Amino acid sequence: MKIDKETFNSFDLVGKDLSNRGYNSSHAGNLSMKSGGKIIITRRSAMLGWLQPEDLVIIDLEEEDAHSGLIASTESNVHRNIYKHTDAMAIVHAHAPATTALSMIEDEITCIDGEGMFLYKKIPIVECDIPVGSYEVAEKVAPALQNYPAVVVRAHGVFAKGVTLEDALGVLTGVEQAADIIYRVKLLGQPLKRDYSKEKGFTNW
Amino acid sequence: MKGLFNKIIEVNLNDRTHQIIEIADEIYENYLGGRGLGVKLFTDRVSPTVEPLSPDNKLVFTIGPVTGTSVSTSGRMSLVTKSPLTGTIFYSNTGGIFGFSMKRCGIDGIIIEGKSEKPCYIIIDGDKGVKIKDAEELWGLDTEETYDKLKEIEGEKVHTLEIGPAGENQVLLASIMNDASRAFGRGGVGAVLGSKNLKAIAVINGKQKTEVDNPELLKNYAKSALDKIKALPVTRAALPLFGTAGVLHVTNSLGMLPIRNFTYGQHEKAPLIGGEAIRKEILVKTEACYGCTIRCGRLTEAGSMKGKGPEYETVWSLGANCEIFNLIKITQANYHCNKLGLDTISMGVTISCAMELQDKGLFPYEEVKFGNEDVLSELVIKTAKKEGIGADLAEGSKRLAEKYGDAETAIHVKGLELPAYDPRGAMGHALGYATSNRGGCHLTGYMAAMEIFNAPKKIPRFTLGGKPDLLVLKQNQSAVEDSLVNCKFSGYALGFDYQARFVSAITGLDFNVTRLLEIGERIYNLERVFNIGAGFSNEDDKLPERFETVPFKEGLSKDRVVPINEMLSAYYNVRGWDENGVPKKEKLEELGLK
Ligand code: SF4
Repeated sequence: MKIDKETFNSFDLVGKDLSNRGYNSSHAGNLSMKSGGKIIITRRSAMLGWLQPEDLVIIDLEEEDAHSGLIASTESNVHRNIYKHTDAMAIVHAHAPATTALSMIEDEITCIDGEGMFLYKKIPIVECDIPVGSYEVAEKVAPALQNYPAVVVRAHGVFAKGVTLEDALGVLTGVEQAADIIYRVKLLGQPLKRDYSKEKGFTNW
Repeated sequence: MKGLFNKIIEVNLNDRTHQIIEIADEIYENYLGGRGLGVKLFTDRVSPTVEPLSPDNKLVFTIGPVTGTSVSTSGRMSLVTKSPLTGTIFYSNTGGIFGFSMKRCGIDGIIIEGKSEKPCYIIIDGDKGVKIKDAEELWGLDTEETYDKLKEIEGEKVHTLEIGPAGENQVLLASIMNDASRAFGRGGVGAVLGSKNLKAIAVINGKQKTEVDNPELLKNYAKSALDKIKALPVTRAALPLFGTAGVLHVTNSLGMLPIRNFTYGQHEKAPLIGGEAIRKEILVKTEACYGCTIRCGRLTEAGSMKGKGPEYETVWSLGANCEIFNLIKITQANYHCNKLGLDTISMGVTISCAMELQDKGLFPYEEVKFGNEDVLSELVIKTAKKEGIGADLAEGSKRLAEKYGDAETAIHVKGLELPAYDPRGAMGHALGYATSNRGGCHLTGYMAAMEIFNAPKKIPRFTLGGKPDLLVLKQNQSAVEDSLVNCKFSGYALGFDYQARFVSAITGLDFNVTRLLEIGERIYNLERVFNIGAGFSNEDDKLPERFETVPFKEGLSKDRVVPINEMLSAYYNVRGWDENGVPKKEKLEELGLK
């Protein structure tokens, strides 16, 4: 299987966008998509802002293989488990700062702004003893993504799914935007004039 | 299972008997309802080699757990049979209110087998039970007359599925109409009813309610879904204002509206027959299936005639694809199709096939030529009656083109005429045509939603990478939507997770997205296995040659052809099928299929 130019362009575009937003340190974060029954994923420690064609690695969808063990992203096991247990076709992972900060003091992110409420309502947070790359992360993240477009690993970052990389990027940036608004409202220190999230029964979502 | 009754009526027309059979929870947990339940019940009972128009073929009409609930677009039901047009298993779907009314009678479906000696109809009466009655006075009536007559006999509140003369005459393009308004349109399913001397199925007086596990939660989800439907432009504005024919303006501008039997991709006159023109010139009012706020249906007036539609596929098949741009004439031909009980897509594409044959000097009827709007209604009427040239058209485009010596003129997959999205304009959609279990169908995977309408997200329409994977996802999702049963158009506004929420709140079981997709995959594989048993192979997963070799010269889809084989092998791999397109033993075992 070959990786075509359009596919590389998609990784490149999403990687640059994340880098420009400052969501990751220079060599962190990872991206993947399902293609031809395999996973195309970024290489371990690839610079998402400066991706080269050899930074994309094809790994098996079902089990660990040499590429996934040797050169693919540290979190390739998390990506694989998400693909095996959800409808994700592409995954974007980044350490979006407002979301990651909120994950340290909340048990879920309940959106309070119009766009966030319309698109996501609430985003689950999972907690792991080893929050990076572990099998525990893989096991906890996948179920949470079955009925939600994104999940936050406490003190680590966001995994967002989509039908394309661009779609997953849209989810991740949207969640970060919603979290940033909550963060700023908390800084203001005032109660909400109208809390839509309570009216709309998001606790049941 | 909550949300359903675990009861199906089994009717044997040979001796006009019926019985109620109990369906185990396990079947619903593995197949949900609607299409999935229909496919399971059908394949358990019918051999893949059955002759579609013989008494041994069966029809399975079903509703699903979501049918008729507070979910906005849930007024739908499903049918499974073997198609006389394609020879494949055939799943079909209709809106209206019949499904809800049948559910109110406390049953999840009806299986019909055998053949009645004389014309008959079935009445399911919530008060008086099931009866099979003589229909000699209905035989020969069109679908509107049949509906009116049944209202006279059974009561004003009756709802009906009926065939017109086309079904009675076993025309391979015959549909089953629903209150003479909506349709099980495709695949010649009306001919199967006709072959059994069954004119109609009627339902009345249902008063039963299904148990919903968590009504409050369902209300919450349904309300949220409605908020989205009211906010997203396709469901808020495009479908209500312009009906499905609004799509024509987009496909034409993208150069993928098939013109002249799929020879060109756009035409300057196309807007004359689009949704905007329908709204301005012939619309009387909009209409909806049970409980739906989108209201994509149209009641229209064309000349001295009044009726339902036309849909996008119809203005295209009877119009643009025949190079006809007279909205009144197209709409009148559409009314005739509805009254006589004919699938407008297959009817139109069979006519355009005849027109191309005539153009090539292979068809002896001179008047059947591109652009001749005056022959449209006449051809439709003759087809329903199998009269003169109509006897040829009644067989569909594949048989017609073979008979007149140029098989490539027929634009079909597995015998089913292609609908109104030229495959050269969207590669995933093209692969969807080739691999649909019922032949050339746009709704089995509906990649156009993503490739053209950005729903749920935009994907580039000409790329190949990842398309087989996305198509498999869409096909499995569609199989689930058809099994719940929920309208495909809700997908313009709602993510697939909504379907999981609805069915979980209704049943009280945890149907998360992953579990639903596994059910969709099970249904898809079971259909594929049936088709293989019926004699289909990878040889049939192909497109007409022009899509692989002849690009458009102009427009936004120019210079493109479909590398179908390149995508096909990846598709089989993603599906877990071997290189011949046969599901591997491990895949079937994984899905609990033997
Ligand atoms: S969107 Fe149209 S087809 Fe779907 S349920 Fe509503 S009225 Fe019926």
